[in-house]
Amino acid sequence: MPLKRMFKTIIIGSLLTVIFAFTTTSNFDSRTSIRLPYKKAGLTTQQAAAHLLNRFSFGAKPGEVDAVVAQGLENWLEAQLKGKEADDELTAHLQNLDALLLSNETIANTYLTPGQIFRLAIKHKLIVKDSVKSLERKEYRAQLKEIMDKEGLKPFQELQTQLINQKVLRAAYSNNQLHEVLTDFWFNHFNVSLTKPQCQQFVLPYERDAIRPYVTADFKQMVFATAKHPAMLEYLDNASSVSDNNELSKSPARVAMQQRLQKSLNDRLKDTDKPGNTFLKQAVAAKKNQGLNENYAREVMELHTLGVDGGYTQNDVTAIAKALTGWAVMPLLNDAPGRKLIEKIGKDNMEKRGFVYQGDFVFHADKHDESAKQILGKTFPEFGGYYEGMKVLELLSSHPSTAKFICKKLANRFVSDHPSDLLVQEMAASFLKHNGNIKEVLLTMVSSIEFWKEDALREKIKSPFELAISAIRATNATIKQPLQIFNWCNKMGQRFYFYQAPTGFPDKGDYWINTGALLNRMNFGLAFATGKIPGVTLDLLALNENHEPESIEDALRIYSKLLLPERNQSENIKRLSALVRDENMANKIADATSKLSQPELVPETDMMQSMPSLKRNSNAGMRKQNQSMAVTTGNNSTVSQVTGVIIGSPEFQRK
Amino acid sequence: MIERRAFMKSGALALFTSGFGGLPSFIAQAANSNKIIQPYKKNKTLVCIFQRGAMDGLMTVSPYADNNLKTLRPSLYMSPSEKEGGLIDLDGKFGLHPAMAALSGYFTDKQMAIVHGVGSPNNTRSHFDAQDYMEAGTPYNKGTASGWLNRAVGLMGHEVSPFRAVSLTNSLPRSLYGNNEALAISNLQDFAIQARNTPITMNSASKSFEQLYDQTSSSLLSKTGKESFDALKMLNINTLKNYQPAKEVVYPTSALGNALKQIAVLIKMNLGLEVAFAESGGWDTHVNQGTTNGTLARNLKDFSDSIAAFWKDLSAYQDDVTVMTMTEFGRTAHQNGTGGTDHGRASCLFVLGNDVQGGKVYQNLKSLAKEDLEDGRDLPVSTDFRSVFSAVANRHLSINDNKILFPEWSGNSINLMKG
Repeated sequence: MPLKRMFKTIIIGSLLTVIFAFTTTSNFDSRTSIRLPYKKAGLTTQQAAAHLLNRFSFGAKPGEVDAVVAQGLENWLEAQLKGKEADDELTAHLQNLDALLLSNETIANTYLTPGQIFRLAIKHKLIVKDSVKSLERKEYRAQLKEIMDKEGLKPFQELQTQLINQKVLRAAYSNNQLHEVLTDFWFNHFNVSLTKPQCQQFVLPYERDAIRPYVTADFKQMVFATAKHPAMLEYLDNASSVSDNNELSKSPARVAMQQRLQKSLNDRLKDTDKPGNTFLKQAVAAKKNQGLNENYAREVMELHTLGVDGGYTQNDVTAIAKALTGWAVMPLLNDAPGRKLIEKIGKDNMEKRGFVYQGDFVFHADKHDESAKQILGKTFPEFGGYYEGMKVLELLSSHPSTAKFICKKLANRFVSDHPSDLLVQEMAASFLKHNGNIKEVLLTMVSSIEFWKEDALREKIKSPFELAISAIRATNATIKQPLQIFNWCNKMGQRFYFYQAPTGFPDKGDYWINTGALLNRMNFGLAFATGKIPGVTLDLLALNENHEPESIEDALRIYSKLLLPERNQSENIKRLSALVRDENMANKIADATSKLSQPELVPETDMMQSMPSLKRNSNAGMRKQNQSMAVTTGNNSTVSQVTGVIIGSPEFQRK
Repeated sequence: MIERRAFMKSGALALFTSGFGGLPSFIAQAANSNKIIQPYKKNKTLVCIFQRGAMDGLMTVSPYADNNLKTLRPSLYMSPSEKEGGLIDLDGKFGLHPAMAALSGYFTDKQMAIVHGVGSPNNTRSHFDAQDYMEAGTPYNKGTASGWLNRAVGLMGHEVSPFRAVSLTNSLPRSLYGNNEALAISNLQDFAIQARNTPITMNSASKSFEQLYDQTSSSLLSKTGKESFDALKMLNINTLKNYQPAKEVVYPTSALGNALKQIAVLIKMNLGLEVAFAESGGWDTHVNQGTTNGTLARNLKDFSDSIAAFWKDLSAYQDDVTVMTMTEFGRTAHQNGTGGTDHGRASCLFVLGNDVQGGKVYQNLKSLAKEDLEDGRDLPVSTDFRSVFSAVANRHLSINDNKILFPEWSGNSINLMKG
């Protein structure tokens, strides 16, 4: 299409859209009661659809803006909030990941951490006392592998890879995009980390069981689920927070039993040669160190519910820690001593004494502080047991400070880095009115004109993960090695699942954008589009119905429009096309391509000296070819280069 | 003043850019030997090395004169006697592991101080927790969002260089989490636009991006974009590739050696580096720790040789640089059943620089008799790590606000720095 005609079409097209937007009245489907005031904010339906996809998905796929317009924005949103769209493509991508449905227990007994592997090696005498250099590394590994294979054991690394892969694949290919976006958001809010050995095995089930089912449900459900999950119990140490301030600990029978146990332990430890005594000693020492641990109590208020300025004191922290003493993880290992004890006595007998068993969560009545407590100005009478902790979490989850803190965080993620107080107040009121129902809060947010206002559009900077996934989606790319995407995210500053602090990644542009990270974003764009990331395949020409752009300018225009739907691209395109013309980019690319395709000719080797003519000829040949046919196909083509520059451009960093 | 500095900065950059694609070669050469032109005000630099896994302080700087040690560690005991491993005697009480010979001269020259019995008041023996607390600088609060080194950068409040705080690691360490910009990069050569491995497209892609970022309406992106391209021009890849350390300096080819070498380049190029971070792993010696040979000896040799090479390479810059090492905790006083040691409490650390009152082992250790050990098994913490970190930050980086640097702490810094 000649340039002029194309421009005309675009102008007429956009004029029509504008007229359409002003003349049509409500096109709401009768099935939904959602009202989105984007027209009041001056947006066309197309622009509004693009904005909605920017914020409520990991980026629009080719043609998706039009599809959402056709479906109706309200209907699309309603379906996304439900999260029940068919997901065949995703299912196909996930079919080789066999650990996604495993229980905490199976994982703990199958995917061994380095510590467990070490114990296994000792058990099988691969590491023996007095045989300091018993086995060479290679032989040690081979024997270890043989034992693990025989017993059906696997290194934790494999589980970690599956965890990472599923996140990338779901984000890229799921049709329930909003649920993926929200899972990302809430996981980060209730962060746990693969960096902590005690909790790393449970991170996968944690996301699956404690986060994912509740992302649009009542907020308190997620507080309960995370509080009781092995991953959180271990990550913030509540599993080891104990007290002996209870009747059970003081009963004479128990004291006598403790003394018997201590005696047999001492006898055993006297024999220093006995295998396993080192670990027994460590376990004894660790046990001695047990007591009240305030970590979770502090963070559940500061980070999960009330917020740091939510109006609590150190006394509240200590009192909540006491209320949650005894909250712990069921013994999951097959040979765990605690497991035999429960079997021997019987769960129902234990429950009569105040113990509680819920899946992998256990409440140890004999490790709970039974005293009366003052928490946030409320009195909790003594002997509250398990239900005391639940009441505390309920109190925290429905507190006005929590409503404000959570809504501010949601507005930060979905509206802008600096949402207005008014918007946060509206959302917080909705949170309190609907008992913390997240779906209702999100609806309040999108019903506000602030969500749609000009200054909210493109205001957010994509996180590295969002950038990578949006590039995959925008180009319909196929990802065969999701771990490569993880590696790039790490380079760009987001090593997801590994954020060490319980705060989670800060959700603001100036955290993500710094010099090193920014250069890596540009490099990501180029590497991604030019086929330099292993396992990434993309067919850029197919996006343009297999039409080759006629010129570089043409390529810029077409691919800007494809990758950045509904953005005003004219400035960018003008700047870039001036640049490519000035620099005579095609020649340079031809030079580079020829060098790259024949790398043996590039280094200054004897071969080059002996065949100087070959080099010159091949170069000249390539150049000629490229001049005549400015746009080539394949990874080194102008289309790839142009796409790479667009993905690395500032406009593509925004959402 | 600020304006003048900014002008000088762009003036210097204009010089860089005139070479299209990076530093003119004379500057690159200069970087290899002497100080070069300074786009940024000359800053003091603190280099922190984190030894992850918990270094055995009792073997590294061994209180060999305490008879209890021999009983506790029958096959891991060392002394200055050749028969017992040949420790380098420091003061008649403590001996430095012989694998650390390369650093011992700096102790004798009083450039290096050793602090023994260092650790955290929180008695956790979990690597994760102890590293977390030490790096956040708040031993009882995990929720602290920032790391102590990031707060240090903020407290200095100097003009922003993209290389102000750099960690030679893949991802940002907990110590540098926070509001002040910090760069994590495992290899400085990655700091480039990598369109192709050929300079022509590299320049044209780089130029395309530069123009795009220059004109974007997002001020965050345009500002950082400008900084990135400025940094790119300052940090010429060829300079890095061709970097020659000072005469007779050979860096070990280990991760730590490479990291320190790159820090040396950044310092010599005067890019405004104030805090540098590197790490070294493999200190969790539960099994076959060894004495003169073995896991610990190998680690110590690499550790010591890397730091010594770095220090020698920087001989013209030593007034402006301090190196401090740290590890999350120490190891059990007694040896375990597999020829190693388990997680303990206090360890030791090294501080190297011309601001340091060196040649001394700063310590408050009691004996290693069972009744003096924590829980009957570990060297107790007699010096809070914050009293060492703050002393170094106060003197070397001129930071005075310890309330911000280490909130929740009201102890005193120890007196190991000059003046």
